[in-house]
Amino acid sequence: MKDTTRSAGAPQATPAVGSASAPPPSAEPAPRAWYRRPLVVRVVAGLLILAIWQIVVELWAQDYVARPTGVIRVIPSVLTEKLFLSDIVTTLTAVVEGLAIAVVIGTAIGLVVGRLPDAQRVLGMYVNGVYALPIIAVVPLLTVWFGYTPKARLAVIVLEATLPVVYNVAEGARAVPRTYLDVTRIHRAPWWRVWFGVALPASTPYVLAGIDLAIGRALIGAVVAEFIAALDGLGYYILFNVNSFHEDRAIVALVVLALSAIVLRALVNVVVRRGFSWYWLA
Amino acid sequence: MPETHAVDSPGPGRAAAVPGTRQTEPLGSPSPRSARFRRLLAWHRARVVSGYGLGIALGIVAWQLVGKHSVQQIFAPLTETLQRLQELIEDGELASAAANSFATYAVGLSMALILGAGGGLLLARSELVRTALEPYIMGLYAAPMVALIPFLLAFLGFGFWAKSIVVALFAVFPVLLNTQRGAQSIASELIDVARLYRSGEKDLWVHVIAPYTLPFFMTGVRQALARGLVGMIAADIFLSATGLGGMLITAAQIFDTSAMLATVLVITVCGVALMAIGNAIERHFARWKVGQ
Repeated sequence: MKDTTRSAGAPQATPAVGSASAPPPSAEPAPRAWYRRPLVVRVVAGLLILAIWQIVVELWAQDYVARPTGVIRVIPSVLTEKLFLSDIVTTLTAVVEGLAIAVVIGTAIGLVVGRLPDAQRVLGMYVNGVYALPIIAVVPLLTVWFGYTPKARLAVIVLEATLPVVYNVAEGARAVPRTYLDVTRIHRAPWWRVWFGVALPASTPYVLAGIDLAIGRALIGAVVAEFIAALDGLGYYILFNVNSFHEDRAIVALVVLALSAIVLRALVNVVVRRGFSWYWLA
Repeated sequence: MPETHAVDSPGPGRAAAVPGTRQTEPLGSPSPRSARFRRLLAWHRARVVSGYGLGIALGIVAWQLVGKHSVQQIFAPLTETLQRLQELIEDGELASAAANSFATYAVGLSMALILGAGGGLLLARSELVRTALEPYIMGLYAAPMVALIPFLLAFLGFGFWAKSIVVALFAVFPVLLNTQRGAQSIASELIDVARLYRSGEKDLWVHVIAPYTLPFFMTGVRQALARGLVGMIAADIFLSATGLGGMLITAAQIFDTSAMLATVLVITVCGVALMAIGNAIERHFARWKVGQ
């Protein structure tokens, strides 16, 4: 039990010396037994989870409930299905489109709210209100407005994704270092250069955090809209297959959905880190 | 709260707005007793109050005007919405729907807090469990939770417990991850000192680990409060259509726009209140956060 108290790393022989608060990186790449290697542990854990899932379902659940062997069996047929592929494209196109709109709108509102205290007072309560409101609650209303069309899905995605961007950009715009702004005043910079030349770049990490949140919310928005409005897409593919007792197929779609979230976030991360490398170098 | 510190450090755009006063004193805060300070403060307060007033007024006018000039099925004026809200309150429909929704919310949130705290501590204290499960937990966290609802519906049905589990599923991850992050970041000095005083494993948990982790846990609670609300509405809409979400669905089916808007308004107020409660809780416990 003793060395479980240490947060990470191998137990140290001289605790008094080794208790520096930051764990030294690559201090002891002590050779681990093969069964303690992270990759091995993870794969074993994954197999164990799958095995438990399989056994539980075999013993207590109906035939149609998804189980690992069934999922593996249907993977090839799902991945080659035309409908499935077009559903992926439909949903992800809508998500990317909605994200693009949301980033533009969100950055604009965020800068206004963050840079102008007066605008913050006038608009802030609405930003807070819409941010606190679960967007799912307005989806029924949006389907009345836009009908059961892809437009409704786009609207839901934009609504979901805009608010985190607004919130984070505003926070970033407020947190611009005073010295930067003093320099812009010395040089008599016009307001638009202050906003887009100083405030926006200085809040890049906040923008990134906002987009990161927005991606997750945009996917949720897409799925919710597809569920409620029965629009073709990954979300509806899942719903339809679960309801027609093809849960195995739906699981494949679910995994694709989760993976696309991860890939989108990684993509944004890479683009921002590449495009704004000067920020992290500074 | 930008206006609290705006008093002594006017923003760059705002200092220029009072050009006459700028030359008289150097930049920085004037003496708090000077007449100029009081004048500035009064001016500032008036500006703050009128800003909020203008915001509210604009919202009311915009809602009313848009409602008046749009088709009845699309949007309803504010007055009509409030009237409908009053009806919903008076015939008890709103109260029973809210009670129904928040019962699932409370049960689901409690499950999430218990599971999140326990799981987070376990993950933080056992390196083996952490390396084994971390990628799967992060994967599940990345997946849009709503997409799991059809499976839950098929597996658990659409009753009270299924709905509570949906709420718990939405809310558990922030609690879990924040608790883990907190418990994992305990400075080893603290543990060394505790050990030096011969505290056993139990004392270590009660007096060091739990108090240290609590603020992190509360950050998770704040996020869970908001996400649980999303889960609650999702459960109402996709499982049995009862509660506040059920009201939305029924109203949408008969194009009762004012009822929909009234319900959305109520949900927004709940959301804002929960956000405020969450922030207050987090701030309260952040006071003893080490190293802040």
